[in-house]
Amino acid sequence: MNMHAQPQRTLAETALIDAFGERLSLLPGDGAVMVKRDDAIEAIKHGLPTRRVESWHYTDLRRLLTKVPAFEAGAVAKALAPVLEGSAVLPVLNGVSSAKLPEIDGVTVQRLSEKLTDGSVAPGLDPYGDDDAIGALNTAFVADGYFVDIADGTELEKPIELQNLQAGGQSHVRLLARVGAGAKAIILERQTGEGDEAFVSSVSQLVVGDGAEVTWLIVQEQPETATHLAQFKAHIGKDAKLTLFVMNAGGKLVRQEVVVRTTGEGADFKLRGINLLAGDTHTDTTMVLDHAVPHTTSTEVIRNVVTGKARGVFQGRINVHQYAQKTNAKMACNTLLLSDDGEFSTKPELEIFADDVVCGHGATVTEIDHNHLFYLMARGIDEKSARGLLVKAFVAEVIEELDDEALVEALEARLDGWFSTHG
Amino acid sequence: MPAVQETIDRVRKIDVDQYKYGFQTEIEMDKAPKGLSEDIIRFISAKKDEPDWMLEWRLEAYRRWLTLEEPTWARVHYPKIDFQDIYYYAAPKSTPGPKSLSEVDPELLKVYEKLGIPLKEQEILAGVQKTDAASEDEEISDNVYKSGRVAVDAVFDSVSVVTTFKEELAKAGVIFCSISEAIREHPELVKKYLGSVVPTSDNFYATLNSAVFTDGSFVFVPKGVRCPMELSTYFRINEKNTGQFERTLIIAEEGAYVSYLEGCTAPQRDENQLHAAVVELVALDDAEIKYSTVQNWYPGDAEGKGGIYNFVTKRGDCRGDRSKISWTQVETGSAITWKYPSCILRGDDSSGEFYSIAVSNGYQQVDSGTKMIHLGKNTSSRIISKGIAAGFSQNTYRGQVSAHRKAANARNFTNCDSLLIGDQCGAHTVPYMEAKNATAKFEHEATTSKISEDQKFYVMQRGIPEEEAIALIVNGFVKDVIQQLPMEFAVEAQKLIGISLEGSVG
Repeated sequence: MNMHAQPQRTLAETALIDAFGERLSLLPGDGAVMVKRDDAIEAIKHGLPTRRVESWHYTDLRRLLTKVPAFEAGAVAKALAPVLEGSAVLPVLNGVSSAKLPEIDGVTVQRLSEKLTDGSVAPGLDPYGDDDAIGALNTAFVADGYFVDIADGTELEKPIELQNLQAGGQSHVRLLARVGAGAKAIILERQTGEGDEAFVSSVSQLVVGDGAEVTWLIVQEQPETATHLAQFKAHIGKDAKLTLFVMNAGGKLVRQEVVVRTTGEGADFKLRGINLLAGDTHTDTTMVLDHAVPHTTSTEVIRNVVTGKARGVFQGRINVHQYAQKTNAKMACNTLLLSDDGEFSTKPELEIFADDVVCGHGATVTEIDHNHLFYLMARGIDEKSARGLLVKAFVAEVIEELDDEALVEALEARLDGWFSTHG
Repeated sequence: MPAVQETIDRVRKIDVDQYKYGFQTEIEMDKAPKGLSEDIIRFISAKKDEPDWMLEWRLEAYRRWLTLEEPTWARVHYPKIDFQDIYYYAAPKSTPGPKSLSEVDPELLKVYEKLGIPLKEQEILAGVQKTDAASEDEEISDNVYKSGRVAVDAVFDSVSVVTTFKEELAKAGVIFCSISEAIREHPELVKKYLGSVVPTSDNFYATLNSAVFTDGSFVFVPKGVRCPMELSTYFRINEKNTGQFERTLIIAEEGAYVSYLEGCTAPQRDENQLHAAVVELVALDDAEIKYSTVQNWYPGDAEGKGGIYNFVTKRGDCRGDRSKISWTQVETGSAITWKYPSCILRGDDSSGEFYSIAVSNGYQQVDSGTKMIHLGKNTSSRIISKGIAAGFSQNTYRGQVSAHRKAANARNFTNCDSLLIGDQCGAHTVPYMEAKNATAKFEHEATTSKISEDQKFYVMQRGIPEEEAIALIVNGFVKDVIQQLPMEFAVEAQKLIGISLEGSVG
């Protein structure tokens, strides 16, 4: 994880290593899973990544993660009403999945603890690189979550909502989903809680089968004291479409990684992200997208609003492999920096090894356009409301693109919620 | 894969003979023993007649260097450099000044001829001593480039051979000489500014350079003076296993203006040669410095053997209000380029510019870009970078733009475009943007593509052969940058791009 010899372990590193020793006997898993856990904690023993590790340049985890709370066996979280009305809810409460599994046509749901115990998920537990600290942390500690399998050709009538709710302490969750060939699904991943100083790691793994269409929404609204380290990994098959929507609107130290690979020709990936940053949050969205086969397309649009003393980061790397000819990839990251104490850093990268491609990225950081402000104020709208309107319009644009009325309404309601407390 | 074979054939065609500066010169050289130690540094310092403070400065840098590790973050790969297997000092043997061109080492003259320096200029470069001071002035004023006047400082391996037009520049108050001379003649200026932009501890290569730099140019333009002519330096690495460590220091006082050009070549050799230079620019209130580079070090042969490792630290400090520093670079040579000419925009209303063309072919690796550090109020910067990758090369743009807390109204526009020719090469873009001020406005855009078939078809349809059509389109692609170069270099740069890409397109 970190090539440089670390002189001394930080409090957080020590806490993690100690916690592993204490938890080990309680963690589910067969031999193969336990070997992966050991490897993962070894990586953490080498030290959490610092800014010298390129992919963690703007989020020096070793420095920022000052303490890790202990596990709280007594903490109780309560399932919430779903964001999208009528969704089938699969709650993970303080790291434990529900024994009562809903019946959905064409969908098989299993508790992840069972899959860990029988070892069937062991191959997917490997971190994806030396610098994958979140993957390593989660592999070491993961105790539960769900495995959702949507059969080929199934068109889900109702969305599925995966809730990861914490009530303080630590929770390490993994959500696995396979969407079969030609299937259609809307899946919402909700990350929130009410506990103090929680430490959450969550890894979602999705396989989108050939010709399938998936909309995956991540709504992160952790309390402002929580540390939230999350990863979303997906493979997109032939002629399949994945739209990923990420909304970060909470947490103290947040890193959401998005690791996507196109594995079949004609695959299409869309990422739409909104980062609403307030208080003294440090929120990092990092994407690594591999165009590994020819004729695949992707577009990424990230909008950020930075207020207070918040620090925001967006890193987006598009790798176009040598044989991935005819790739079409576009990425944009726009930021409104609204306070002098806030900051935003962005690193949009292109790594291109094929020649017949069209790739581009754009990034901007700016304040509110004074002409727009003037236009509204000239119409009798006071400055505060005018600013509010403009900022909201700036992020709402991304939501409106989702092209599903129910979705748009539900997400705009979350947006309103954030603006009413932070506007 | 026929396509792969085709590319291999294409690359094979770019033989070594296309590097037209690949000649080497048999000149008697004065060399220090191989390797690096405090003794070698003392030797260099003594050779240069340096004052004690300079030696101390070097030794301090050397001791610091011993504690540093080679940086590994750039996207370049090369075998570990043995820093003890390099000559740190090599100079053409000096004999008392020759009386006429016929007494000058003919090999040295050939070098200048091949570099395309006019004969009369050569006379001056070779240090021919005139008996009559008055006629010397006449000679010099006759001896101007057709397109305009350029004063030249030629650096051969470790030492500056000669500087032209010194007298005339002195009349305007401009000091243009080798840095060794400046250390002896103008110690107060050197002491004040050397290391003030790139401190000795800055990075691995800059620290090494601070310890062992052998020569380079020094320019001082006093208050209110507009330098009457373009200043130029030719760098050439000639000796085997020699590192070239030059140090350039340019100071423009209040309201001054100077335009400086730099050109580099080296002979073809199988071994890799090291070039680790440091360039420091200081612009005070209302001053402007324009720094242009045409870098054409030997890039290695078709198999990627040999070539120059170019690890350069270039930084400009817009120290004064309303000052301006502009970097323009055309990078076609070197096996490895690791270079990030930067601007520190410290003064209020100061501005920085970076225009770059990086062409890579064969097995070249380029990792280049810039840093724009906005510290003052109302500062602005502009970055235009064009990368062209062909053959098996890797071409990376790496740039940083940052606005600090107090940099109100900082403004940046960045545009980096890459063109890929062939499917065995890579083009990468790694921009870093960091904004800590709400009034900052940063824009960045980057694109990567190949030459559009439509454009090519359009040009070829008008009877232009394919290779020329591509050269035409490529030159159009880099036009924004070429326009920033002084006339003399613009022509050279266009030709150079043509040569670099020869045989790689089609």
